[in-house]
Amino acid sequence: MKKRYLTYILLLMLFSANAEENSTNYDVHKKILIPEVTVYGKRPLKEIGLQQTKLDSVVLKENIALSMADVLTFNTPIFVKSYGRATLSTVSFRGTSPSHTQVTWNGMRINNPMLGMTDFSMIPSYFIDKASLLHGTSSVNETGGGLGGAIKLSTKPTEQEGFGLQFVQGVGSFYTFDDFLRLSYGNEHWQTSTRIVFSTSKNNYKFRNHDKKINVYDDDMNIVEQYYPIERNKSGEFKDLHLLQEVYYNNKRGDRFGLNAWYIYSNRELPMLTVDHGDDTDFDNRQREHTFRSVFSYDHLAEAWKVSANAGYIYTWMAYDYKRDLGNGVMAHMTRSRSKIHTIYGKVEEEYHLHKKWLFMANLSAHQHFVESRDKNIILQSGGKGIVGYRKARIELSGSASIKWQPIDRLGMSVVVREELYGKKWTPVIPAFFIDGILCKKGNLMAKASVSRNFRFPTLNDLYFLPGGNPDLKHESGWTYDAGLSFAVGKKDVYTLSGSATWFDSYINDWIIWLPTTKGFFSPDNIKDVHAYGVELQADLSLIFPKDWRLGLNGTFSWTPSINQGEPRSPADQSVGKQLPYIPLLSSTINGRLSWRSWTLSYKWCYYSERFTMSSNDLSLTGKLPPYFMSNLSLEKLFLFRWADLSLKGTINNLFDEEYLSVLSRPMPGINFEFFVGITPKW
Amino acid sequence: MPYKIKILLSVFFASFFLAGCMEWEYGLEEDFAASGEGLFITNEGNFQYGNASLSYYDPETKTIENEIFYRANAMKLGDVAQSMIIRDGIGWVVVNNSHVVFAIDINTFKEVGRITNLTSPRYMHFISDEKAYITQIWDNRIFIVNPKRYEITGYIDCPNMTTESGSTEQMVQYGKYVFVNCWSYQNRILKIDTETDKVVDELTVGIQPTSLVMDCNNKLWTVTDGGYEGSPYGHEAPSLYRIDAETFQIEQQFRFTFGDAPSEVQLNGTKDKIYWINNDIWEMDVTADYLPIKPFLPYQETIYYGLTICPRTGDVYVADAIDYCQQGKIYRYSKDGELIDEFYVGIIPGAFCWK
Repeated sequence: MKKRYLTYILLLMLFSANAEENSTNYDVHKKILIPEVTVYGKRPLKEIGLQQTKLDSVVLKENIALSMADVLTFNTPIFVKSYGRATLSTVSFRGTSPSHTQVTWNGMRINNPMLGMTDFSMIPSYFIDKASLLHGTSSVNETGGGLGGAIKLSTKPTEQEGFGLQFVQGVGSFYTFDDFLRLSYGNEHWQTSTRIVFSTSKNNYKFRNHDKKINVYDDDMNIVEQYYPIERNKSGEFKDLHLLQEVYYNNKRGDRFGLNAWYIYSNRELPMLTVDHGDDTDFDNRQREHTFRSVFSYDHLAEAWKVSANAGYIYTWMAYDYKRDLGNGVMAHMTRSRSKIHTIYGKVEEEYHLHKKWLFMANLSAHQHFVESRDKNIILQSGGKGIVGYRKARIELSGSASIKWQPIDRLGMSVVVREELYGKKWTPVIPAFFIDGILCKKGNLMAKASVSRNFRFPTLNDLYFLPGGNPDLKHESGWTYDAGLSFAVGKKDVYTLSGSATWFDSYINDWIIWLPTTKGFFSPDNIKDVHAYGVELQADLSLIFPKDWRLGLNGTFSWTPSINQGEPRSPADQSVGKQLPYIPLLSSTINGRLSWRSWTLSYKWCYYSERFTMSSNDLSLTGKLPPYFMSNLSLEKLFLFRWADLSLKGTINNLFDEEYLSVLSRPMPGINFEFFVGITPKW
Repeated sequence: MPYKIKILLSVFFASFFLAGCMEWEYGLEEDFAASGEGLFITNEGNFQYGNASLSYYDPETKTIENEIFYRANAMKLGDVAQSMIIRDGIGWVVVNNSHVVFAIDINTFKEVGRITNLTSPRYMHFISDEKAYITQIWDNRIFIVNPKRYEITGYIDCPNMTTESGSTEQMVQYGKYVFVNCWSYQNRILKIDTETDKVVDELTVGIQPTSLVMDCNNKLWTVTDGGYEGSPYGHEAPSLYRIDAETFQIEQQFRFTFGDAPSEVQLNGTKDKIYWINNDIWEMDVTADYLPIKPFLPYQETIYYGLTICPRTGDVYVADAIDYCQQGKIYRYSKDGELIDEFYVGIIPGAFCWK
């Protein structure tokens, strides 16, 4: 507690000292803008009925050390399940599993075709210029398979003239170093950009380990003392390199070309569990990855229609090595797993506007995957060497047609019909219907509703992984219903206030779960029927005060029961009617951003309620994870010189040094700090 | 400072109080005094989640105590509790992915010591008070330990295995020889001379022998699971083998149907009957020439995961792991197959140990 009050006092002193500073001529408009309130009567036809959360550039570009997992944690109602700092971070959208969230980057789906999910710790937020969440039914507009929803990530041209350079250096706790460099050039027709992020950290944060004790023995090997050790996060070092090259050409006659290429190299140790009694110097548990993603895009815009064509390619090489020292200095492989994925992507899309009241859209996309998985080296009965793994290819086609209609300003309707092919299997038709209407122009009070059916096919590991893959799996299917209200009020250069409340109701059948078998390995099966429902609330407030004070506040709240409604596995099954494990019933986020001239103070807060670790929701000692609150604080100062813009920023993560867990036996860092220096020369 | 700004700052900093302290329930050490007969149940927990646990059942009073290691010691048992044995009032709990074997007092459940830094321990077998073997998976060595000093003292190299394909499992002793079944992508029983700590012989059986016991006639029994479809190591019909410990030769092979998945060969107290799981629960005299036609306990809409027989009463205990993500259930039957009791334990009850 003492530490917390000291922090308060420190902050207040710091803030009051800064508030007295008499500085002028700072350009604060980059920080908080007070836009005019959107007039929904003229809203885009494309967005009729959509339940969508857009993340703005202030959130995405907050600091270079953030991954999209961090951004989603503090700015959206999505639950992010993190296995630790810079380790696997997956999302649960409206109480569904990570593979129920479809993720696209510049239109191309980037879910791992073997696992179905996306690791958001591998996506630096500084590489994303636009991000939006399509909740539930709204994901059908983008892709199929998003039983929870979809997340659209994309880049965009800087729209600048001449050369640009930005460099940010971050130095933080646990020997953490983050570097960001962006080189850009633009003219009337061309825009190019090169972005590099390089992050390294020993990641050896301290924590008190309450899961084990250290024994002190006497000479006769009797325990004379036991204590909880203060340990460091062992084997958590990481090095991540991201390189993004973009080239855009616009002939100003309606044709736009774009090329995006993103290379990732990651070398991450996998931290030891809190219950591991091995010597970390004797074990090496490591994951490495090379991934290359590229998309070429072409858009032609005319007055009433638009046609787009995209082509892309993804290559992913992943290695997992678990080694131990045999005592002679030789690190021998306990597990040596390799996988390669090649994905070829193509998409064509057309939009046609008719009389400003009709919009017709159609698209067809294809993802062709070639996958090779080599998971274990064995000695065969004959004495030769063998490899346990599989090699498969699968084509995935997805096509949709939609009609958006706005008969009057106050009313909009949309119908989407989607059809998908996975390998040789077609989904039934995926229909979706959306409607919205202005209830009251004053306050832009709007009602939205939508309904859709959706399907998700098993991943390649679900079907073919050795051992355990189950080629007889059925696809998962579900119905989702959404309804909500939103409003927006404001006064230009004074304030804006907007908010929304959404109720959703989803039924997912034949949910695929991996379970152990009597042969000692796991195998997937269509086990569960799940009813996920709940409420999502969002609110945004921006205020401008006299003397250049500005305040931005936004918050989210979710209530997400996700209930197992399947048949009991056996007469003893206690899981039916219970909340799914690791899905919080309640979650909330609040963000505050206070600016005065060139100073900005940001505060981020999130909350997750208790999470059960068992399907039966037993409240045993290891049956639940306590709820946790997390607070981050940062203070930034801009210096605008004639020759360059300079920014200094300090962040405090886990401000109150909370002990918390996102996953059992995975320690999370306590209070930690990072300092950033950014420079943007003016040419 | 203007009034509005003061309000603004107050609102901003008031929001800090949204942060609150989390209440952690770190266990307090609880006192137990479990004298008399009892049954320990090791609950594996979920791999990589560190939620293994130990349960204790009193057959006399029909009472169950769960999470006894955590409650007695105020710390977690670890990740994947694999097996347990008792010697001279000390229980040795093998926790596979925590690289540890805990020694506990079998009446108070308090820890008395631990052997650490094992590769991936599976089972423990005592040779003497000061020497024991611990088998491993993902290691081609069996660890030799001194249980009195909680030290690793040496290794037994197992032939025709690499570290990656290494797998040694359950052990039984006949005279100065210890026999061990090799399971994962293996098909052998190894014979180890406990005086030299060397593998002196091996016997090829079917694909993946899962367990090993020795009956009253000094016959070894093992059952194979036959591998799985698509395995580069092969896939065949599983078999139950009776092996003479003296000659180390297969006496009889009992074939199952292709696709069956037998496991968990166990003996009764007089060691004249064997039991195993193959969808149903099966029972057979150790002198039988054919597999039984009718099961001891028919399949009851669940996949049984563990099995043990009370050495004193002959009661049969069957573990149901249900969905492997909730408290498993133990069913206790009389030796005539009548249900006597049922109780919930921890996640994935996999092995038993009689006090």
